[in-house]
Amino acid sequence: MTATLTPKDFATATPSWWCPGCGDFGVLSALKQAMAELGKQPKDVAFVSGIGCSGKISGYLHSYAFHGVHGRALPVASAIKLANRDLTVIAAGGDGDGYAIGAGHFVHAVRRNIDMTYIVMDNQTYGLTKGQSSPTSATGYVASVSPDGNPDTPLNGLALALAAGATFVARGFSAQPKQMVAMIKAAVEHRGFSIVEVMSPCVTYNKINTYAWFKENVEDVTAREDYAPNDRAAAFAALMREGDIPLGIIYKEDRPTFEDRTGLPETPIARLDLNAARERFTAMQAAYR
Amino acid sequence: MILNSVEVMFGGQAGDGSLTTGDLIAGVFKRMGLEVYTYKDFPSRIRGGHTNYVIRASEHQNYGMADAVDALVAFDLEAVEAHIEEMRPGGFVVFDNTSETIPDDLRRDDVTWYEIPLAKIAKEQLGLELVRNTISLGVLGALIGMDPEIIRNDVRGVYQRKGEKVVDLNMRAIEAGESYVLEHFADRPSGYGLVAGDDGDRLIMMGNDAIAYGALVAGCRFMAGYPITPATDVLEWMSKQLPKFGGVVVQAEDELAAITMTLGAAFAGVRAMTATSGPGQALMTEAIGLAGVLEIPVVVIECARTGPSTGMPTKTEQSNLNHLIYSGHGEIPRVVLAPGTVHESFEIAVTAFNLAEKYQVPVFILTEQALCQSKATLAPLDVEAVEIDRGKLIDSGEVVFGEYKRFAFTEDGVSPRVIPGVPGGMHLAPGSEHNDAGVITENPRNRARMMEKRMGKLVSMRDDLPNAVLHGIADADIAIVGYGANRGPIAEAVQRLAAGGVLTRFLQLRTLWPFPEDDIRAFVRGAQHVFVVENNYTGQLMQLIRAVVGPLDALHGVRKYDGRPFRPIEIIDAVLETAGLTLRRAQGDIAQGDAAAEVV
Repeated sequence: MTATLTPKDFATATPSWWCPGCGDFGVLSALKQAMAELGKQPKDVAFVSGIGCSGKISGYLHSYAFHGVHGRALPVASAIKLANRDLTVIAAGGDGDGYAIGAGHFVHAVRRNIDMTYIVMDNQTYGLTKGQSSPTSATGYVASVSPDGNPDTPLNGLALALAAGATFVARGFSAQPKQMVAMIKAAVEHRGFSIVEVMSPCVTYNKINTYAWFKENVEDVTAREDYAPNDRAAAFAALMREGDIPLGIIYKEDRPTFEDRTGLPETPIARLDLNAARERFTAMQAAYR
Repeated sequence: MILNSVEVMFGGQAGDGSLTTGDLIAGVFKRMGLEVYTYKDFPSRIRGGHTNYVIRASEHQNYGMADAVDALVAFDLEAVEAHIEEMRPGGFVVFDNTSETIPDDLRRDDVTWYEIPLAKIAKEQLGLELVRNTISLGVLGALIGMDPEIIRNDVRGVYQRKGEKVVDLNMRAIEAGESYVLEHFADRPSGYGLVAGDDGDRLIMMGNDAIAYGALVAGCRFMAGYPITPATDVLEWMSKQLPKFGGVVVQAEDELAAITMTLGAAFAGVRAMTATSGPGQALMTEAIGLAGVLEIPVVVIECARTGPSTGMPTKTEQSNLNHLIYSGHGEIPRVVLAPGTVHESFEIAVTAFNLAEKYQVPVFILTEQALCQSKATLAPLDVEAVEIDRGKLIDSGEVVFGEYKRFAFTEDGVSPRVIPGVPGGMHLAPGSEHNDAGVITENPRNRARMMEKRMGKLVSMRDDLPNAVLHGIADADIAIVGYGANRGPIAEAVQRLAAGGVLTRFLQLRTLWPFPEDDIRAFVRGAQHVFVVENNYTGQLMQLIRAVVGPLDALHGVRKYDGRPFRPIEIIDAVLETAGLTLRRAQGDIAQGDAAAEVV
């Protein structure tokens, strides 16, 4: 048995490329803390990220990390989980990666309900390309490619996920680490596809949605006494209402996973003996005689 | 009279059952001991639109269509209009004249016409118009001497699960067809006669099925794909079979997901593949580059159809060669393999997985509609001979963290590959340039070294690549180069030219990338003419050859880009015309479709 792990066991030697004060630091430390508290071993964690500032996170979590192409973290991560269901699989990326270039995969990964976790680090801007509007930027947001203000309506990613049949929907704020740790732990332990969206301020390009702004504009809805996270309609209402941004585990439901529905064997595919079925292969040729 | 060799075409509207009947006929020919090749020419729609199914049967396997159609079974006038020009003089047409008549301008007098009210007989005598297909089987059988017992057994086999009533109806339909011929036409009037031999221990299999089967046997246990003609067969086959062997198939939301899922599964240590066609291949381009830089072994089946854009989705072409070789930004090592027969489709699938893992590169299998959706008879496939070589894979035990380097520089460019779950192997696999440990860096020396490491694998792998196959006479003056589905018509042309006194050599390429430069150089040496036969407009293969041998006056392109495969006569004519030769014996003296028997 390995000794108790600490967040340090999930640290890499690679220095961070993020700007000082970036919200993504909060996400990373919450993630390390959650992994340690869950007793995960770095060797059993597959961590897949997209492209962009937030996509760099895979370089900073000691694990089997995959930093692929823009927008495709989810299909990569989904397949890693199916290939080896013993792994803890986490995908992470920004609002552009998940809700713009990767939006097509987002809804289908939700529908499949593979047992994995997706963390969307939402800073409402494109940071690494130096500050353009993102799918979650407010209408009117002035940026280099929308000098007269963003003409588009911001995307409500969690409501979209719920509409697509999500079984675990949560939102955190990177300045509230305790809640984020609890949320990530619950997401990883959830049997099925879990989404944790984190409001993760960009201190360099987004001068509107700042830490101070978020502090004024978020509300932990689950703290309300009558909030029932298994009530889909209530979750929708919470996500769609005007006003404060709802935080917390907004929706949770037990539903058979892709693995359940396809009867995926308990033995990870990656551990199969590929030479095991020779005689069965030969017998298959009878169908072609 | 042509003995034991026939090309039958079934033509009608899509959805009217001619594909089922075509499969039945192919099975009957096989059980009569003949070698069979089929070609499906169907429209990109489910119901309606002209469709035809060509079944060629002969004593020797030709892997392609003959010069002309011997027997056309036309369920409507459109089938006659579309194909009367393809009929061999002396051939015959079975035409359903229930509601249409043959106009005089289509009524060629060098073919025999059997006008039979198939639909009417079906409806009035048997009560179901749909069985006209089976009636036509009886008609055809009586006309060309198909074994009546085999026909009955096969039809029973196909309809058995629908119950005895359906079987009985179809039996009566065969009978009705046979009787009609006996009552209305003189005994065996068509001029064709088949002789039943021994079926022996043989298979009849479609190219796509052979690829999928080869993949399964090779250890592929994960497939992600998005339905696309003509590659969907592979996805369907794997969906049925992989779960039985502990694997899984995912129907992806698009090809971007299909290829990145394939990468994910392979990264996790599973032999993984996807299958697609041109439009899907285009979407996969970026992720193929990622596979190259992350040194992830993936196998991509490209079942080529006509492009660009939607093109003609159900028609054949070889216009994607450049795409497979060059697509993508940046430079990666990649392999492109092309089977030329159904048997090779199986073998190359196995080879593809071994190459992919041994060299940690993306491997494409390039096949075309004319091969991958065609059936052919073949000897049983030797599963016992299949060897799985996973290369430098570390999927158990442990490695020492800090010492282990996923992208370590090695002699052959291949680094030991650890998979998630192995203690000590944790690393970052980044699409950004990285050092041997996977740490992102833009250091110029590292960059140059990494490029050399990755690209060097193209050299290391040379000895493991499928060799080119030499057909014909090795020192003949006339040389022909081709690949894929053209292996059949070219090899047949070579044999028939030889029978007519014109000697040629044919190099069938099976590895298209890394381009077999040495083979090409050696092959063209001393040739007076080099013909490059391919199904595209720009001569993609010829350009690759020219890059190796330089500009040669003797280099000639033989190209077809109408969506249909070559018939051997088209290649024979091109060779003779360009080389200014004539056959010592007239073309008509050479038995079509049975060339091997004529070679002396």
